Amino acid sequence: MTTTRQERPAERTVPVGELGFAGGVVALGVFALVRAGSINEPLTAGSMGPRALPYLVGGALVLSGLAVVAAVLRGHRGEAEHGEDVADDEHTDWRVVGMLVALFLVHVFLIIPAGWPVAATVLFSGSAVVLGAKPWWRAIVIGLLLALVLQASFAGGLGVSLPAGPLLEGVSFLRG
Amino acid sequence: MDSFFALMEGFGTALQPQYLFLALVGVFVGTAVGVLPGIGPAMTVALLLPLTYSLDPTGAFIMFAGIYYGGMYGGSTTSILLNTPGESASIITALEGNRMAKAGRGTAALATAAIGSFVAGTFATVGLTFVAPIAAEWAVKLGPVDYVALMILAFLTVGALLGSSIARGLASLSLGLFIGLIGVDQISGQQRFTFGVPVLGDGIDVVLVAVGLFAVGEALYVGSRLRKGPVEVVPISKGWRNWMTREELRLSWKPWLRGTAIGFPIGTIPAGGADVSTFLSYAAEKKLAKGERKEQFGHGAIEGVAGPESANNAAAAGVLVPLLTLGLPTSATAAIMLVVFQQYNIDPGPQLFSGNAALVWALIASLYIGNLMLLVLNLPLVGLWVRVLQIPRHYLYAGILTFAALGAFAVNRIPADVMILLVIGVIGFFMRRVGYPIAPMVVAMILGPMFEAQLRRALSISQGDPVTLVQSPFAVFVYAALGLVFALSLWLKRRERETEEVLEHLEDDELVSTDERSVRS
Repeated sequence: MTTTRQERPAERTVPVGELGFAGGVVALGVFALVRAGSINEPLTAGSMGPRALPYLVGGALVLSGLAVVAAVLRGHRGEAEHGEDVADDEHTDWRVVGMLVALFLVHVFLIIPAGWPVAATVLFSGSAVVLGAKPWWRAIVIGLLLALVLQASFAGGLGVSLPAGPLLEGVSFLRG
Repeated sequence: MDSFFALMEGFGTALQPQYLFLALVGVFVGTAVGVLPGIGPAMTVALLLPLTYSLDPTGAFIMFAGIYYGGMYGGSTTSILLNTPGESASIITALEGNRMAKAGRGTAALATAAIGSFVAGTFATVGLTFVAPIAAEWAVKLGPVDYVALMILAFLTVGALLGSSIARGLASLSLGLFIGLIGVDQISGQQRFTFGVPVLGDGIDVVLVAVGLFAVGEALYVGSRLRKGPVEVVPISKGWRNWMTREELRLSWKPWLRGTAIGFPIGTIPAGGADVSTFLSYAAEKKLAKGERKEQFGHGAIEGVAGPESANNAAAAGVLVPLLTLGLPTSATAAIMLVVFQQYNIDPGPQLFSGNAALVWALIASLYIGNLMLLVLNLPLVGLWVRVLQIPRHYLYAGILTFAALGAFAVNRIPADVMILLVIGVIGFFMRRVGYPIAPMVVAMILGPMFEAQLRRALSISQGDPVTLVQSPFAVFVYAALGLVFALSLWLKRRERETEEVLEHLEDDELVSTDERSVRS
């Protein structure tokens, strides 16, 4: 609820993002309708088999996606979400989004080979620096401490074992 | 009277030291996380799920009762003290409370919110105590056809009524249903939309969807448009003597009760939950205010904080009625609570009160306890919450990402889940950009498989005759009510928009006057 949101979206020309997302919804619907036919329908399935709901959902995706496309073309634009920390201008920093996603990917592939504490340090410190933490070494120290505390409390206190990784394998309180 | 004794037994359980401790931890952590900007009640509950993995069911639910109420309360502190309000459920509180804080009455706004939440929470929990067993007794008689009707009601109200655009709400709902379809069909054992990927065979865990959409999606979205510059927190006066003047108390107590009366019933029916009740309460208070007080609305009227805040909390308790008695979540937060139940192989629904009576009553008893703890904790700890509000944003969102990844990994301890979390997070990011509501997707994903099971059961009883779906009197009643709810909600939406327009005008005035003030000071 800020004062800046009225009217402004209408000034932009082609709402590529909005049409793209709605188009994606329609495409997913078409995909669901096509693939639903290839779901095995056992003879014993009775009156309503495993294909019925996929057809229904596929149809709903196509229809609702088309309804959004129609609404957008008629000028009823979506309102980007607001939040406490969201700036009011419409500027999008794609570089930040891309780096955060990349860091998350690195995290996923580090968990097993390097252990959860290392992977979490990379994710936390990297994201913090990308989002503007300075100086960078403080973010790394904080990330490392947080990861170790989480590892110790989850493995030790809560009984949820996280892989400690080759570097920390020998430290007893970090193992689940 | 049975429920009274059952409740006493519940207290007997919940008052044991280890459970009291869990309730305290739940309330404290729930509030602390709920205070964090950008984190609503649903995300609070989703992010804190891993904390309960090692607890017994009773302990887990007692802790979650605390987290649930704490998260609700934390949000209002954020909106009163932060210059940039966010969450939808507490937007009204934000507008009036924030204005009060700027006028130097921030403590009074926090106090009326805290006491109002307590009053509303307590009365609504009493309501829950007496309504739920009756509803459960009646719900036992419902057949699959009736459940199908109730779920259609829940789908359409959550999907079409939440958010500003019906088409976007339904698209979000359908996306949720689609994700719910992925995996092996429980009845026929056939794979659906698994793309031959073994990880998808068991379906996508609800925790991944909830945490992905709420936490990862939010962090990416805020990251893309992060507000630069220092965090501005409205300064508040110290000392408990400043909390509320006699006059402010006199103005507050009626709105507390009215807010409760509005919030609880609205919470129990699937009609949009807390948001609607806060707007209704605000409109009611404004209408009832006389003379000078009416002028005060939009400039920091304490009634405008007391009423909506109570309504919000009463609705939060009301939402538990359909959740516990029918197993129907009507808000995203309730949907995630349902997941907690499912993790312990407990199916909320009419059988819950007979089959798991001890657990349910311990949960309800701990709602009373948690509520009291909130009241005792919150005002004295306000200094701490202010400090929490000032956490540097780069660490806050980095932390949200890290906790989300931890939560996803802890579900099955496979990195593939974290990958799925990321994919869903990216979807959530785009949904926020183009204005799709998130809640319908989460609710639909959880209700979808339940809906399919009931629909199939209904049709196999009738041997495939779809007419059966409208042959139960109760189902017909639900469909009629659905029509009524839609008519009513269109009317409410108009009211809401009118209120918003008035508020926006006021906000423009306010901006001018604060500028003047800052020039003077």
